Amino acid sequence: MADEALARAGLHFDELNKIRVLEPEISQQTGELRDECKEFLDKISEFQKIVGSFVDLIDGVAKEVEKEKMKAIGSRNLLKSVTKQREAQQQQLLALITEKKVQLERLRIQHESLAKEELEQTDFIEQFILQK
Amino acid sequence: MRYKVSLHKQPKHTELVSCVGWTTPDEVISSGDDHQLLKWNLLSNEASKLVQLPDEVYPTDMHWFPRLGGGGKKAPGSDVFVLCSTDGKFLLISRSGRVEKSVEAHRGAVLSARWNHTGTDLLTAGEDGVVKIWSRSGMLRSTLSQNSSPVYSIAWGPDSDQVLYTNGKQLIIKPIQPNAKPSQWKGHDGMVLKVDWNPVNNLLLSGSEDCKYKVWDCYGRIMYVSSIHEYPITSVSWSPDGQLFAIGSFNTLRLCDKTGWSHALEKPATGSLFNISWSSDSTQVAAACGNGHVIFAHVIERRLEWKNYEVVVSDQKVIRVRNVTNDAKDNLDFRDRVIKASIAFKHMVVATSSQCYIYNVKNWNTPMIFDLKEGSVTLIIQSERHFLLVDNTSVYVYTYEGRMVCSPKFPGMRTDILNEQTVSLSDDTIAIRDKTDEKVIHMFELSTGKPLGDGKPYIHKIEVMEVYLDQCGTATERRLAIVDKNRDLYLTQVRVYGKDRKTVKLSTMINSLLWNDETNMLAALSEGKLLVWFYPNASSVDKDLISRTTYERETNEFGKSPQLLSFLGKQISVRRAEGSILTTSVSPYPSILHNCVTLGRWDDAVRLCRFVKEESLWACLAAMAAYGKQLGTAEVAYAAIDEADKVQFIQSIKEIPSKEARNAEMALFCGQSSDAEGILLQASLIFRAIMLNIELCNWDRALELAVKHKTNVDTVLAHRMKYLENFDKKETNKRFIQYSEGVDIDWEKIQAKMELEFKNERERPVASSGATARVK
Repeated sequence: MADEALARAGLHFDELNKIRVLEPEISQQTGELRDECKEFLDKISEFQKIVGSFVDLIDGVAKEVEKEKMKAIGSRNLLKSVTKQREAQQQQLLALITEKKVQLERLRIQHESLAKEELEQTDFIEQFILQK
Repeated sequence: MRYKVSLHKQPKHTELVSCVGWTTPDEVISSGDDHQLLKWNLLSNEASKLVQLPDEVYPTDMHWFPRLGGGGKKAPGSDVFVLCSTDGKFLLISRSGRVEKSVEAHRGAVLSARWNHTGTDLLTAGEDGVVKIWSRSGMLRSTLSQNSSPVYSIAWGPDSDQVLYTNGKQLIIKPIQPNAKPSQWKGHDGMVLKVDWNPVNNLLLSGSEDCKYKVWDCYGRIMYVSSIHEYPITSVSWSPDGQLFAIGSFNTLRLCDKTGWSHALEKPATGSLFNISWSSDSTQVAAACGNGHVIFAHVIERRLEWKNYEVVVSDQKVIRVRNVTNDAKDNLDFRDRVIKASIAFKHMVVATSSQCYIYNVKNWNTPMIFDLKEGSVTLIIQSERHFLLVDNTSVYVYTYEGRMVCSPKFPGMRTDILNEQTVSLSDDTIAIRDKTDEKVIHMFELSTGKPLGDGKPYIHKIEVMEVYLDQCGTATERRLAIVDKNRDLYLTQVRVYGKDRKTVKLSTMINSLLWNDETNMLAALSEGKLLVWFYPNASSVDKDLISRTTYERETNEFGKSPQLLSFLGKQISVRRAEGSILTTSVSPYPSILHNCVTLGRWDDAVRLCRFVKEESLWACLAAMAAYGKQLGTAEVAYAAIDEADKVQFIQSIKEIPSKEARNAEMALFCGQSSDAEGILLQASLIFRAIMLNIELCNWDRALELAVKHKTNVDTVLAHRMKYLENFDKKETNKRFIQYSEGVDIDWEKIQAKMELEFKNERERPVASSGATARVK
């Protein structure tokens, strides 16, 4: 009876006969819930940590990818410009070659004329000797 | 010939460079869009900032005030330059970088500015299409022309009385006198970007967006068109001595001969060359590059040849000499830069920036050296024993021992524009064509530097383009070959004795002309033919012989407008228009004949002619013998070329007893009647002189002589009467009427008197026997 009267007043006794405000059953459940919550929190924070490191990793990879991409674009452009540069160089070399060719032609003509002259001179000398 | 290019690793300007200019041959000023004026010292190869220009000044062109003659030993170069800018102003800036004056000149950018050759006027052209002339201090003198499109480039004519400017594709030459009519022509298929006009060779140069450069003469006739380049021609510039020019384009620097063909091509990484400038000694160029560089190029490997010697200016201070017959090589090192070198007549003359070296070809180790008064020699001309140096102020003649002989001068002499064509040297004479009046040729005695004869210069009928003195023979026989504006060739005496100078026209349409170095033979190129006068003096002896003593050959292999390079011994070198050198030779016999005759060995000369059996050689001998008054030789030679009339005449002369009379008759034979008369009068053969004039129908002179010497008046009168009777005419000459009054003419008596005279002549102490064959 006394228990009932106390229960009405909101007071209970547990197994160890300690006075409680909550019903022992509920109190036990509450304790269980609290423990479970703690466990849950731990798990969540662990998960967050894992996710965080994952995100970092991904970020790193993204950066790397971006870098590589730029590199690729750069080298592709460079490649394009190299062909252009080569073309320009080729053009320059061609111009120089034409110049040399013209020079060669001049020297060839000069050589030809000198050879002809030499021939004429030797002819003359021979004739001169024969006449004597 | 090629460039030795020097380019800094890093550009010193941060923006494109638009203009460069030389102060001295060792210092360059450049400016560009970074508003800096940089000073480049070429000795230390360093650039330093001279001044920072205001931010609104974007320079477009610069031109240094011309260096005028009269500077001291170390002439400091110019002191001021004009810099034009895109904000429509031009700035006068001193050498230290101080802006002395800023003048509002054009609407829109000022694109080009040029001082005239004397520095009195400044010419500017702008985007507004206006060409203006300013005074030295920057006051507007006149507006020369207004055009619808921007004028990109301008240049002064050689006398500073004409201006060349661009207008779109057009080139325009306009005299600066007001209301003078300009001459204009379409120069290019694209916009003309740059022009230049050289005062020494009087040729124009233009570069255009159609990627070609062209060379024009001052009448706008085209001399050379280049092939098409990859990029527009952005700059052109003549070297001050007129021998070379430089062409600039994108990554391209070209060195060209004055006839247009290219000596060398460089492809430096410079971007477009916006401006090219030559140093005053014509050995270096500086160019303003589009990528902020300033490029310097030294012209090296100039090549000279003389007989078996080959001379190459292989570097700035080194000359390599090679004797091709034994392959002996010599390296000559100099303290200073080599500016000019010349080799001829067994001597090489080298002018550096401070000294002159004279080498004998036999000895390359010990040159004669002397200091030069002024550093910039523009021309060296050699003769057998002397050479002539031209610098900015004077003309000097030295012997090969290095002794100065003279320094000829005449009022209004401009030495900066003298070239091989307008000044000529022989061992006793200097001839210089006047620039202010091109008809005038000044001739000087070499030993004194004083004008020849009466001091008056020779004045030709029309403008003279080229003068050449012969190199051999004695001073009294010196002859000057003249090529005039119509390209006609004249031969004239240098020293005149007696009244009139004898000038003979030898040929027309002469492209190029040279005397031989050993004998007085004259070679010329004319309308696709090579002409060699073996004995040009024939013109003063017997004009009929000129064509017979001339060697003529069709020369199709020489191409269009070839130039004679040298005529050494019997070798002739010719440069074709595209730059190749051809060699040809003439017969060796004329020069042997010349030698025999100069030594007086007439018998050998005749024997040579008999051996060779060539008509031209006989004709030469005939002329030489007639000139040398060798009657026997002349008779043989004229007989060999079938001139019967002349042989007969010579035979008749041979019978004349007195030597003077024979000489007089020979002079007459050469068509020199006044000389003949002079000889006779000097020998007091009065009667003969009178008869000479009677035979030439020179009646007045005959009578004058007779009256003066109071002899034979009746003889003259009798001949005159007979002459008039023959033509059935009446006496109209007052003097004859006067003297014939009261004189009774009896032909028989006259005949007798004449016989007596001839008899007297025969009995003169000097005369031997013989009768006159001539006067009968």
